Amino acid sequence: MSAVDPVAIFRVEAGELLDQVEQDLLDLGHRLTDAALVDAVFRSLHTLKGSGAMFGFDALAAFTHHCETAFDRVRKGLAPATAELVAVILSAQDHMRALVDGDAPRADGDAILARLEAAIADGADLPVGAPVVAGGGGWRLSFALPVDAMANGTNPLMLLDELRELGPCTIVARTDTIPPLDDLTPTDCHIGWDVTFAGAVTREAIEDVFIFVMDDMEMTLAPLDAAADEVTPDVDLPPVTDVARADPVSVAAKAGESVRVPAERLDTLMDRVGELVIAQSRLSQLAGQDGGLALRSVSEEIERLAGELRDTMMVLRMVPVATLFGRFRRLVHDLARDTGKAIELVTEGETTEVDKTVVERLFDPLVHLIRNSCDHGLETADQRLAAGKPEAGMVRLSAHQAGGEVVITIRDDGRGIDRTRVRAKAEANGLIEPGAVLGDQELLQLIFAPGFSTAAQVTNLSGRGVGMDVVKRTIESLRGTIDVASIDGEGSTITLRIPLTLAIIEGLLVRVGEGRYVVPLASVEECLELSLEEDLRSRARSLITLRDQLVPFLRLRDLFATGTRPDPWQKIVVVSTGAERVGLVVDQIIGNHQTVIKAMSPLHRDVASFSGATIMGDGGVALILDIAQLVATGQSRDQSREERLRAAG
Amino acid sequence: MTATILTVDDSPSLRMAIRIALTNAGYTVAEAGDGVEGLAQAAATRFDLIVTDLNMPNMDGLTMIRELRKQPAQAGVPIIFLTTESDAGMKAQAKAAGATGWLVKPFVPDQLVKIARKVLGR
Amino acid sequence: MTHPSSPSSIAWNADGELQALTFVMGTETFAIEAEFVHEILDLLPTTVVPGADPLVGHLINFRGRVIPLADLKPAFAMEAATDTSPSRIIVVELSIGDGNHYVGLRADAVDEVATIHVDTVEPPPQIGMRWPRDHVRGLVRRGDGIVVIPDIAILFERLATRAGRSVH
Repeated sequence: MSAVDPVAIFRVEAGELLDQVEQDLLDLGHRLTDAALVDAVFRSLHTLKGSGAMFGFDALAAFTHHCETAFDRVRKGLAPATAELVAVILSAQDHMRALVDGDAPRADGDAILARLEAAIADGADLPVGAPVVAGGGGWRLSFALPVDAMANGTNPLMLLDELRELGPCTIVARTDTIPPLDDLTPTDCHIGWDVTFAGAVTREAIEDVFIFVMDDMEMTLAPLDAAADEVTPDVDLPPVTDVARADPVSVAAKAGESVRVPAERLDTLMDRVGELVIAQSRLSQLAGQDGGLALRSVSEEIERLAGELRDTMMVLRMVPVATLFGRFRRLVHDLARDTGKAIELVTEGETTEVDKTVVERLFDPLVHLIRNSCDHGLETADQRLAAGKPEAGMVRLSAHQAGGEVVITIRDDGRGIDRTRVRAKAEANGLIEPGAVLGDQELLQLIFAPGFSTAAQVTNLSGRGVGMDVVKRTIESLRGTIDVASIDGEGSTITLRIPLTLAIIEGLLVRVGEGRYVVPLASVEECLELSLEEDLRSRARSLITLRDQLVPFLRLRDLFATGTRPDPWQKIVVVSTGAERVGLVVDQIIGNHQTVIKAMSPLHRDVASFSGATIMGDGGVALILDIAQLVATGQSRDQSREERLRAAG
Repeated sequence: MTATILTVDDSPSLRMAIRIALTNAGYTVAEAGDGVEGLAQAAATRFDLIVTDLNMPNMDGLTMIRELRKQPAQAGVPIIFLTTESDAGMKAQAKAAGATGWLVKPFVPDQLVKIARKVLGR
Repeated sequence: MTHPSSPSSIAWNADGELQALTFVMGTETFAIEAEFVHEILDLLPTTVVPGADPLVGHLINFRGRVIPLADLKPAFAMEAATDTSPSRIIVVELSIGDGNHYVGLRADAVDEVATIHVDTVEPPPQIGMRWPRDHVRGLVRRGDGIVVIPDIAILFERLATRAGRSVH
């Protein structure tokens, strides 16, 4: 036998379990509805309680039992997981550590349990009634074991011994069910027994003997004083008194409040809804052409339903940003530890909903921005006190919806962006000419330029090879914008504006040659006419004058090599990506179009001008213009690229 | 002759607890850390009782029980598995695999000894 | 008779047979594994993709999905189709890059699902072919001529991995 003290091993295990509980609780605090986390906490507490009892930590086991019970209630939907509950269990978890170490004041535990009780007050723990049926007048028991009981390790003789130990009884074997010798397998058990107890034995005591085989065996157990032919059911359920069982409907309703669905199923559903919308618009076209009144009214009804279905579908993909924000608490906690600064993270508008894909893709940029605020924005406690600010720095993360966009701001009350240093750095890096005249916003936007970093030295926090330029690009890839504001000594604010969904956009449908294309409406600034005369005059140039500003433009007919003649009244659609603009010359503006975005095939990965495709009301396909790409093309007038497009078209 | 019991569990502290409880009750105890080790031990020695956890790395308890019951030499050897209250389905599966009985975790050493006496009769 | 490109070599069954769909493009008859064929469509409106490789110069709406419409003619030294509505479209499901994708294949006519026997297939000759040898997995001798088993997997995989580079 090993000399290692099992109690010591248990202490280590308990420590690990409590670490896990702490971690899960921290996560749970951010995702209160996460059933997996509730389960995880419950399991850990359950194990801790069990092991504690086994190794003589009775106080720990008893205390943990209450916490476990609380989580069991949450697990079963009888009580909600609340921030308060998480907080209580977090402090309880500290108390458990003390109990493991053996120096926990009892009063602490009682105070925590009192808080715990309050935290899960709705629906107090009712004991399950388990009435003891005393068979004062004795019992008649009749049983036959499962055929494979002996092979599976149950020895019938020992069960009979156990029954004898309960009290005086007579046992008679029933051998009528034994098969002929030819069919007999020696390890099978075919004998049944009739047992009569004369004295006072409880039903539970008798049933306990058969605990391992009861589910699979034949058994009747009847009080002796009952009518001889009366047979009671083999398992007598105690009266139901538990709240949970008394109202199964409310439990089911609670469990049904949210359903987890794999995202790909939503995507499939989205495709089907897209098809339906297309089929419906074909139907309404037909109904409009040669349909009778009845067909037209059915068609209109279907149009309404299809529209509602699509809107509902959009909502299904929306998740609250709370799932995103919650993940930053730990980040800020760690940043505070690593920088030695006191940092408080305040989050607002967690219920704001955004498309699931958007939420996922916002994570990395937000991590970077928050790191930046904590690392560069906020001062040390000493500096803050000297500047007359509260010792703890504040990072405020907030979200709200504005129209079709979600606006996310990261605000800190730190020192603000040092404009002089930004300028010096930009000049040193050749981003701007020395002494160049810049607007304030232009100057601040320089921090998003590739390779720019305002940190005097790269710290281990921010120096991860990811720059603000990557943040900006990610936001733009979400068709969003990023703005920065800063007041010296008071802090800076980064504002992200992101469309609510990636799956659908408002588009401007245009015609170029014979093809139809979608311009994302969010990037359209204005639409102008370009007369044939003006067109000819500007033929040799690639710039037009727009309100005294020169704007480069692209003739999409040329770029796409349509080989068609221009319409007499072409249009210029002026699009922008934040600061940069370009005019797109098209033949016709068809109108607004709500666009369900379909990804381009991998076979078209080398085609850069389009970000996706969409299906039109008539079933045709239109390509969605990649504005960032076109603006870059327009700005640089990459000749070789254009020639390739011409040659290839 | 004292009965020899094999305990199969991946948690060293639990194995230790089981060993202490059973040795104090006069049994001889052998240990295995997972199902694979358990099968190997059972092939080498005929045990009077096997006590096994269900969740284990390499080979879980269910698989081990099934494997054991395939061997004629293991017919009739009582197998007790350790489970938690939440594993109602697990209980049924383990019974179907050929287990004799179970012990719900957490348990105090006395319960284990009681069960050992129940199935061993000594 | 070893085959140079094993990943896209022909998967004969135990009897040395292959179920294949034969179709006509221009003057040639081609055969592709029937198991890849998802559906055969009649005329559909197509959308030009400016800047795309002529092999996959169009898109179609296939039951609510936007899928590329491939024209294999340029890969076999034939003039790319000029009409906007091919007479038939064979929709195949192929593993391209990271997953399975549908691609429509233009065909002038679709013949039949035929059983090709391994004995009737020859590897492409080293010389004397009018098109790149690795575009072909095998040639099937049939009474009245030859059926080409193209290597569409290789053709498309190359397009997908080319990512931004042009072959023209």
